[in-house]
Amino acid sequence: MTNKAFRGLFICAILGALLFRVVRLDVRPMHHDEANQAVKFGDLLERGEYRFDPNDHHGPSLYYLTLPVALVAGQKAFTELSETTLRLVPALFGAGLLLLFLLFAGGLSRETTLAAAALAAVSPAMTTYSRFYIQETLLVFFLAGLIAAGWKYARTRSGWWALAAGLSTGMMYATKETSIILFACLAAALGLVLLMDRLGKRRDGVVREGEAWVWKETRTRPPTAFHVVLFLIAGAVTAVLFYTSFFQNPRGLLDSVRAIGASFNRAGHPGFHAHPWYYYFQTLAYAKTAGGPVWSEAFLLFLAVAGGIAAFGHDAGKDGSPRFVRFVLFFTVVTAAVYSLVPYKTPWNLLPFYLGLVVLAGNGVGLLLRISRFKLVKILILATLIPGFVNLAVQAYRADFTDHSDPANPYVYAQTSLDFLKLVAAVEKIAAAAPEQKDLLIKVIAPPDETWPLPWYLRSFGRVGYWTSAEAAGELGDAAVVVASAANVEKVATALGDRYQQSFYGLRPEVVLCVFTRQGR
Amino acid sequence: MKNTLFWISAAVLGLALIAPAAMAQDPGKEVLKITLPKPMFVGTPKNIRTANLEMITGKPRGPFMVPVGTVLLSAGKPVAASDKEPVIGEVAFVTDGKKSGEDGYYVELGPMLQWVQIDLGKSQELLAVVAWHYHSQARVYRDVVVQVSDDKDFISGVTTVFNNDHDNTSGLGAGKDREYIETFDGKLFDPKGVKARYIRLTSGGNTSNDMNHYVEVEVYGLPAK
Repeated sequence: MTNKAFRGLFICAILGALLFRVVRLDVRPMHHDEANQAVKFGDLLERGEYRFDPNDHHGPSLYYLTLPVALVAGQKAFTELSETTLRLVPALFGAGLLLLFLLFAGGLSRETTLAAAALAAVSPAMTTYSRFYIQETLLVFFLAGLIAAGWKYARTRSGWWALAAGLSTGMMYATKETSIILFACLAAALGLVLLMDRLGKRRDGVVREGEAWVWKETRTRPPTAFHVVLFLIAGAVTAVLFYTSFFQNPRGLLDSVRAIGASFNRAGHPGFHAHPWYYYFQTLAYAKTAGGPVWSEAFLLFLAVAGGIAAFGHDAGKDGSPRFVRFVLFFTVVTAAVYSLVPYKTPWNLLPFYLGLVVLAGNGVGLLLRISRFKLVKILILATLIPGFVNLAVQAYRADFTDHSDPANPYVYAQTSLDFLKLVAAVEKIAAAAPEQKDLLIKVIAPPDETWPLPWYLRSFGRVGYWTSAEAAGELGDAAVVVASAANVEKVATALGDRYQQSFYGLRPEVVLCVFTRQGR
Repeated sequence: MKNTLFWISAAVLGLALIAPAAMAQDPGKEVLKITLPKPMFVGTPKNIRTANLEMITGKPRGPFMVPVGTVLLSAGKPVAASDKEPVIGEVAFVTDGKKSGEDGYYVELGPMLQWVQIDLGKSQELLAVVAWHYHSQARVYRDVVVQVSDDKDFISGVTTVFNNDHDNTSGLGAGKDREYIETFDGKLFDPKGVKARYIRLTSGGNTSNDMNHYVEVEVYGLPAK
């Protein structure tokens, strides 16, 4: 492939990735988790306040990285924020991930890099969670950054790459404290690659494939102590800066360590997030509900299996390194196994090993294109693969723009329903007609898991109170609007009597909220 | 007497005008700012995708008394619908006696306002109508209107049994009945013994989507002799 063709096609992949990630970011109602994060960010934006919460919310990088985006958007207050501003952060990191694939050069052939970039661009899983104001896409970006920097360092022994690897490690930890699991998986994958090297040597005396990443070659000496220290310091400083809220909350660093314990505890006691070991593969392989369309990334999985098998060969294409692909394979398998064995599962947690699947699938495409030297055969193979890419793109379109809140969509998890927006519109309409306008009193009586994302949508209202029971809320008749969870409807209705009109709205599947609106004055 | 009334009225009016101004001008006082409780943070909520017959509002429906000899009139009776080509299932599901909440037991009609209509064959004394729209998840159907008539076009002699379309979205008149959450025990409507041949149930989407669903509708009454 010529330089020009590669550049042109890679730019197309980037543009495609941007198209799927940044367009109409406000189309999906805010998820419970997104609204939580938005309120946390609001505190940071307005008052510069952020304290790491060891019990929830993961690391601080998402909030701090949202600051420049809000600044550019000219939004200085929580009430001014928009869904687009918030979601633009993971969206840009999601598209930026493709650029990191370029750093895999020497490990992946051009065809593999291009195919992996194209798959990432139109991946339903990646595009969905790149439009989601949660930490996972950032984590995957920094994970790819660490792999890329580590790979570059292995080839060049440059201190700069050691520094970059340290920064990526620190950012991973600052994004999710549970990234230590990924560090362990990366170490295991590296160990397995080295073990295979040794086994290979014993078997036939030479390591056949590899100009790249040969540890004892003169060009690539073992890591120096200075580089190791550089890596560690970069990682530690990054983590300390973020977790201590840039030295405003020194306790934050210790809390991040405590949070690891809390996360492991949650993993062992997953409650309603317990799913069988095959949950992630089922999510990716096949999902269908009555009357709904089929969702499947079987095409990508098939290519990943092909690419994984190819990793054991001695040919990774021109400029490719079988060792690097093997490292990706081991990392993917180990991480998928660990994540699958943990009972606590949410679909976005599949992203770290999904990154590996994408790279392996790219290698699968590379393998298929190497089957024959004849150009015509290559074109025919490519032609048979194109419908698979198109199918993924169509599913991504559905996941991102049309079925984003449909429970039949396997990437949807506890998503706020579209009906909820009617509740918001109804409250806005009442406020518009009331003399108090946005200062009318709103009482929300619902347990916390049936409250969100109300605080996000009611952020412009001046007098909103949240209680978990009708008794705790005291007198209800002074409120112009009362929002009650289903369990509180009877009590609230009895307390308010006939003066209030009641209407139900869906919050999520099986969760409804009732809005009581005062009639007259 | 007239003078006294005049002065009392003037004094009250004067006080009413002066008092708020006096209060506002009191330099020692200010408006009490009450901070309302903030929402509590909590982790990712439960994801619900599968059938769940759990009741939300609690109490099971109490016994509903009917005259001795009351029977199910609607079993297997023909059903018509405003949507001639249902999205899922068949309109015959409405009276087939199968009330499972699983997929394959409900008919899905198109979005916005839709109706199903049961033909009992002849005018009979109606004592209860029980409807199951969709009960594998808690949701509320909007603008539910239950009407009975001897006119299959529902132009004349229409009796409205239930109507929770409070803003007359359906154009069938504003109703004062309350919305309700669908549960596995269905919603019972009381026709109070009115005689009719046709029963029409209208709805306008639900809190989960814009579609309209029916698992089953049962009409009980005293068979015509």
